Amino acid sequence: MTNLDQDTLENLKKLCRIECTPAEQQDLLHSIKRILDYIEQLNEVDTEGVLPCNHVLQMMLKNITRPDEVKECLSREVFLANAPDQIGGMIRVPSILKESP
Amino acid sequence: MKHEHWEAVIGLEIHVQLNTRSKLFSSAPNRFGDEPNVNITEVCTGQPGALPVLNEEAIRKAVQFGLAVGSKIAKYSTFDRKSYFYPDSPRNFQITQFENPIIVGGEIIAEVDGVARTFPLSHAHLEDDAGMLKHFSHFAGVDYNRAGVPLIEIVSKPCMHTPREASSYARAVKAIFQYLDASDCNMEEGSLRFDANISVRPKGEKELRNKIEIKNMNSFAFLELAIESEVNRQIELYTMQPHASPGKVIESGTYRWDPEKKRTVLMRKKEKAEDYRYFPEPDLVPILITEAYIEKIKEKLPELPHHRFNRYVKEFGLSEYSASLLTLEKALADYFEECLHSCPHPRALCNWITVEFTGRLKESGHTLLSFGIPPAHIALLVEMIEKGTITGRIAKSVADDMVKMPGKDPAKIVKENPDYQPMGDAHSIEPLVEQVLKENPESIADFKAGRTKAFAFLVGQVMKLTRGKADPTLVNALLHKKLDANS
Amino acid sequence: MKKIFHFTALQLRDHFLKGDLSAEEIVHHYIKRIHAYDPKLGAFLKVFSEKPLEKARELDKRRAAKKPLGRLAGIPIGIKDNIHLKGEITTCASKFLKNYTAPFSSTAVRLLEEEDALFLGKMNLDEFAMGSSNETSAYFPAHNPWDLECSPGGSSGGSASAVAARLLPIALGTDTGGSIRQPAAFCGIVGFKPTYGRVSRYGLIAYGSSLDQIGPLATTTADCALMMEVMGRHCNRDSTSLDLPPESFLDNLATSFKGIKIGIPWQFLETLNPVASKNFSQSVEILKSLGAEIVSCNLDILKYSIAVYYILATAEASTNLARFDGIRYGVRSKKAKTLEEIYDFSREDGFGTEVKKRIMLGTYVLSSGYKDDYYKKAQKVRTLMIEAFENVFETCDLVAMPTCPFPAFKLNSIQDPLEMYLQDIFTIPANLAGLPAISIPSGFDGPKPLSLQIIGPQLHDVNVIRYAHAFEKAAGYSQRIPQAFDEES
Repeated sequence: MTNLDQDTLENLKKLCRIECTPAEQQDLLHSIKRILDYIEQLNEVDTEGVLPCNHVLQMMLKNITRPDEVKECLSREVFLANAPDQIGGMIRVPSILKESP
Repeated sequence: MKHEHWEAVIGLEIHVQLNTRSKLFSSAPNRFGDEPNVNITEVCTGQPGALPVLNEEAIRKAVQFGLAVGSKIAKYSTFDRKSYFYPDSPRNFQITQFENPIIVGGEIIAEVDGVARTFPLSHAHLEDDAGMLKHFSHFAGVDYNRAGVPLIEIVSKPCMHTPREASSYARAVKAIFQYLDASDCNMEEGSLRFDANISVRPKGEKELRNKIEIKNMNSFAFLELAIESEVNRQIELYTMQPHASPGKVIESGTYRWDPEKKRTVLMRKKEKAEDYRYFPEPDLVPILITEAYIEKIKEKLPELPHHRFNRYVKEFGLSEYSASLLTLEKALADYFEECLHSCPHPRALCNWITVEFTGRLKESGHTLLSFGIPPAHIALLVEMIEKGTITGRIAKSVADDMVKMPGKDPAKIVKENPDYQPMGDAHSIEPLVEQVLKENPESIADFKAGRTKAFAFLVGQVMKLTRGKADPTLVNALLHKKLDANS
Repeated sequence: MKKIFHFTALQLRDHFLKGDLSAEEIVHHYIKRIHAYDPKLGAFLKVFSEKPLEKARELDKRRAAKKPLGRLAGIPIGIKDNIHLKGEITTCASKFLKNYTAPFSSTAVRLLEEEDALFLGKMNLDEFAMGSSNETSAYFPAHNPWDLECSPGGSSGGSASAVAARLLPIALGTDTGGSIRQPAAFCGIVGFKPTYGRVSRYGLIAYGSSLDQIGPLATTTADCALMMEVMGRHCNRDSTSLDLPPESFLDNLATSFKGIKIGIPWQFLETLNPVASKNFSQSVEILKSLGAEIVSCNLDILKYSIAVYYILATAEASTNLARFDGIRYGVRSKKAKTLEEIYDFSREDGFGTEVKKRIMLGTYVLSSGYKDDYYKKAQKVRTLMIEAFENVFETCDLVAMPTCPFPAFKLNSIQDPLEMYLQDIFTIPANLAGLPAISIPSGFDGPKPLSLQIIGPQLHDVNVIRYAHAFEKAAGYSQRIPQAFDEES
């Protein structure tokens, strides 16, 4: 049985930065729990010594790179055309503490 | 450090921006200082539907660095997504290397107070830089020009114990990147940044205690000050609570150095370690590196700082101290070697560069590199001394003039100032020698009595009369001639 | 006289090239049908008329001047609205992106454009391609032309619905866990998912990065073949794009299965309902009659497909959708005052419940303390599934299964998320193993279509389509039109 309670859901919401209504929260809690219970069945599978699949095609095990060249840029105009709020050519956001993770 | 019973344990994470033409996963220009949001593509602004493609030059520079520090180059390395929400992150995840970094191990050799020391690395990896937040009074602006710029993050083992060790290590790392021409290492522009992890423990204690992180320092001076300040803070706290459990005295957290307050300021506590939820980047394939590729890069590896240092000591006979002064900044060593082209007197050049001119420029805050005196001029000055065109004394005055009028040819300076024309012909010096002898009969007597000091005095008097312009060897010869003649 | 909308894409193009039909005529015809019928179907989120007409007129001029024309000249195509067409809005059927103008075209669309395709609109889908019924679209659900009360399947529900109702001969869809094949099956048309990496993902708004592929939905395998010849190319803006030359599909269409061994995982199919089971057996008989050797194969491991999928796809999705934060684009919540509120409220308002569910699930399975149990475990089981298929393909050329365990269900009839997810049991495996797979109509359950799925080894896209063609010809269920839509508009 999965250990998913309100607190865990609250933490999840913080991690993925999503808010929801109380009704939605109940629905989400219930659904996610149901799915996690279903997923438990994977424990039946013996994966001793099995490598995780990081690339689905063997063909992909070769270098894919590009030469160090500047190509056509996204014009600032087009970039800002989709911006919800902008100022002086920058995206505008509310004042924040001078820190970053 | 005053606390003899405590030991500081310091690890540094250095972020270095690579000087590729385009960004790590996007083909936008990798440039500093332009108008906001002009060096962008859909990839580095996180547009939906955009996909990363790796810049081959970033791999090359990473491998160069790995070879320069004697590390193992991973034959198979991969990228991971590191998730966190922040406006300077175009996708709210950074693409970095967590599981399989490209560089493993290695060591940095740094001169700490004149002694060569070795500092082991944990690893180094590639990742993309974030954009920039510009803070205003009531809002902030986000500029993505820097987002996606290639970074190498170099992670040391927690092997440093003093602020000086840390800054020496950092300087050595900077020098390597300069010599490889893999980064412009411009600390004011943020292309070289340090994070320090600091903890303390009683001397002899084996386990590491809780550490704090000081982020984003961009000057060697701040690095030392911050570490010093933080170490003292931690020791004080432990000392004030001798019975408390160490884990409670110092709690993990992220700090920044406040240069005005002259102390570290808490940014946020790490109650729960930030859960970055690393997992393999599905949009990229692994980097596969062959022996042949590594060999090719090894062959073309430019001269590294400590090789150059050794060369200066062995070939030019410079002292270790002088050699390290010159080689720590590649541009300065290059300047020195440029001088050498036209003036094959390394020890003299070294002295004029690292002592005479450096001293004269100290107040202005400039170095020879930024002052506008070309290497050819220093070379010429030293040549003139070596050839005897001017005396050492005159040269000092010429140097003063060169600093006053940067860019003015020293030969011209000498030509234009009659006081700088050394008196090299016996004809003009002879009458002055005779005058001195006439005025100082006691000294002549002293000399004849065997007091060699008297001779030096007489030389000095002649030099005074010639206002230092006479060639001392010539003065010596003339005096001897006259004194011998008179005896 | 055959009506225009009865023609396949290839036929339309031929008629256009011959001069029997003008491109303008073709476009008018379909736009008229769209306006007449789409209100019932909800297949389109946006209909284009000016631009395709302009292009059509240009094509007509070029044809008259005997100038060269692209391989798709005269063919109207729909684009699922999670694929970029530069200058047009890409909504992903979400409120979040209702004002987002695509700053670039996807490679797939660009390739179609270069071959003179005529884009008639952006097609409805489940929000961010997360769904199997087109019910989670933030705008309106799409309907199945065979039974309007039923779902057309998802997430490419709009594409399937439009093609089945002949509002378009071809539409682009995307397939992460069956989102091309299942709607194709529900709507009685052909839907093809290429080998992973065969079609570029550049310009496709990512859901499950290691699973997504763009592919065609059409009324015939030949039309799918044509699309693959145009779209199946290497793209240097997508690091997961296969570096292989384009392949010839149309010249290789088969009419017999002689010499071909088809593996059937009977044990894995035990849970099929009787109607689907009967139809599948009938399909197997057809395959036999065409000369195929049918063998049993063991793919039991596939019963864990859904569990693996809902860990890996949601993990990838949780990070792919993190960029939708109201900062650089998308709808930013007006009531947000701080940065945190911008994130929380914009995402609260912008995302539907299903999307939130999957993001949270994906975040959970990656979070510290759980990652090994969920994400790493699922990655390992995925390896086992790839190996299981590799084993089977050592002796078999193809694998056959039904596309779906049951036909189209009534809209709003499935409330339990697990029940909704479980219907993807037969389609998800091909995504997990990166295999090419196609759904072809194989019969009816009353008015509702039933379908066969053929799966091939990695890189065997040509074979999958060529043999599907043989089945299609023999089975004869392709090109059926729901009666309600079989009239001139």
